Amino acid sequence: MSITKVLVANRGEIAVRVIRACREQGIASVAVFSEADREALHVLMADEAYPIGPPAPVESYLAIDKLVRVAKAAGADAVHPGYGFLAENAAFAEACAAAGLVFVGPPPQAIRALGDKTAARRIARGLGVPTVPGTFEPVAGDAVRAAARAIGYPLMIKATLGGGGKGMRAVHAEGELEAALGLARSEAAWAFGEGAVYLERLLAEPRHIEVQVLADAHGRVVHLGERECSIQRRHQKLVEESPSPFVDDAMRARLGEAACRIATAAGYVNAGTVEFLVDSDRNFYFLEMNTRLQVEHPVTEMVTGIDLVREQLRIAAGDALGFAQGDVTLRGTAIECRINAEDPFAGWMPSPGTITGLRAATGPWVRDDSGAYEGYTVPRFYDTLLAKLVVWGADRPAAIQRMTRALAEYKVVGIRTTIPVLAQIVRHEDFRAGRLSTGFLDRVMPTFAAAKDRARSIAVIAAVLAEYERLGHRMIVEASPPPSDAWRTGRHPGWRS
Amino acid sequence: MKFVVTIGDTTERVEVSGEAGRYRLTIGTEVWEVDGRLTAQGIYSLLIGGVSYVADVWDEDGACVVDVGDERYVIRVEEETRFIIRTKGAGPGGHGALTLVAPLPGRIVHVAVKPGDRVEKGATLLVIEAMKMENEFKAGTAGTVAEVRVEAGQAVNGGDVLVVIR
Repeated sequence: MSITKVLVANRGEIAVRVIRACREQGIASVAVFSEADREALHVLMADEAYPIGPPAPVESYLAIDKLVRVAKAAGADAVHPGYGFLAENAAFAEACAAAGLVFVGPPPQAIRALGDKTAARRIARGLGVPTVPGTFEPVAGDAVRAAARAIGYPLMIKATLGGGGKGMRAVHAEGELEAALGLARSEAAWAFGEGAVYLERLLAEPRHIEVQVLADAHGRVVHLGERECSIQRRHQKLVEESPSPFVDDAMRARLGEAACRIATAAGYVNAGTVEFLVDSDRNFYFLEMNTRLQVEHPVTEMVTGIDLVREQLRIAAGDALGFAQGDVTLRGTAIECRINAEDPFAGWMPSPGTITGLRAATGPWVRDDSGAYEGYTVPRFYDTLLAKLVVWGADRPAAIQRMTRALAEYKVVGIRTTIPVLAQIVRHEDFRAGRLSTGFLDRVMPTFAAAKDRARSIAVIAAVLAEYERLGHRMIVEASPPPSDAWRTGRHPGWRS
Repeated sequence: MKFVVTIGDTTERVEVSGEAGRYRLTIGTEVWEVDGRLTAQGIYSLLIGGVSYVADVWDEDGACVVDVGDERYVIRVEEETRFIIRTKGAGPGGHGALTLVAPLPGRIVHVAVKPGDRVEKGATLLVIEAMKMENEFKAGTAGTVAEVRVEAGQAVNGGDVLVVIR
């Protein structure tokens, strides 16, 4: 079968990413948009775009029936779910299949088997792949306390259908168990529609390392090396890189082999990611398998030269993988920084609003996967990811230098973003030395500050000149008042460059 | 023209003269000759003694947010006379009630206090989920919780009053 037109059931930078891959292969693209997204970049870039309802995701990007109806009406033959929203929803994959649409992702059975985290843990255990010590079934009632004692404290309570850091609670002593259990259950019930939880031992400052796999419908499974994703806040990743500075060839082979075996056992087809926690002794433990394209997939693309979205579309069309494990080599280092509409210095508070000025980083080996543009208003309804800044370097120090350079070039005006803290992370001596763990950011964040007073005078000059010009402008035009934002839109004669 | 800039708890007097891109600023006792241009919307180019700086400046609730290098400053800039009027008008001490208002629409995940609770500055009041993130809201001052107007699970709009501390 061949794919000629793809409906992209997502928004933001990932919808743009998929549309670009479609265009490069001569495949037509269909965007969908909520009422909040009429002016979003993915709508502007797609060949066709159709409204799917109100801003709330349940009424638009999560509305399976609407998406299927639009796909059929537009004459699409495939649906790409991106990540988030319905990407790991087996019912959506089934609804697509029932409507005669190719779902660009794994079969529904594989989504279901791996979406239940305890079932996934049982698969790994059955294959002899190490798992984090914990329960292999959901726990409830009186059994929880006994199970917790058997595992030992500190431990994690996790949602059986979890993801994105939701429904996770750390418990450091038995006295906290009851309360944490209640919170985790209610959070899980809200986020995933089911409150079931299981327990895992809490590893001390582990690394988060994940393996990218590609599996075709003809039984071939390969891995594309690993990504180090240890720089996280609230269990959400912020900086990722490939390869991991901690993983050598022998460990890569072992991780990759374990990941491929899990994918094979789950009947996996398409792109997927097997996540591991790794302790300081290089022991690795299976965490879960994500049955979708990951946010951080570009770092793998940059070091392997393989376009993952193109491969997803080829695999979905029934094509065999055009390469074998031995053909996959990792060259240099790639790093990704997530530019989010958040204020890292105010508890990562979301910062929606209008981007009044934007100048993205460019230049050698810099990639900007963005869903934003100058004048774009970041809506309040969706996640905060604006853009992923990705760089490649011949080795890790070169990649870090390049990222430092690119972050300094990247200008976003009008909303607060993570750029200042990203710049401080990549400059940090522990980051440069590759001393990474999931505790990194919590440890170093208190030493980061919004301002270190190095540039205080420059900032004062810029702020005062902005106000001075604004007042001056008002005085000149009192007779015929201009739009109040004229000074910001570059219309003041003396300030046009 | 004379201004007073406020950064956090500190204030500084700044005098500016010049036009059309050429300015002289006196900050405290230091004098700065600045070639300043607005190159794009809110992106300023400053040439000072041959050194090139780029600063992003935008307005947020009446204050300037300035990103320069990897630093971020929130700077309130006022004409000197306005500053004098404002600071003379403010009575000494006694903040009165402190009201926590939802800055964004979202859902209350957790409420950590109830009316009558004594809270210290920095104590967690409640947690709101907005834009797929959980955001913890802390007491800006010590006091007694006078009102809690929301409960866990409730949806709130931006601007809704959540907690009042006295």
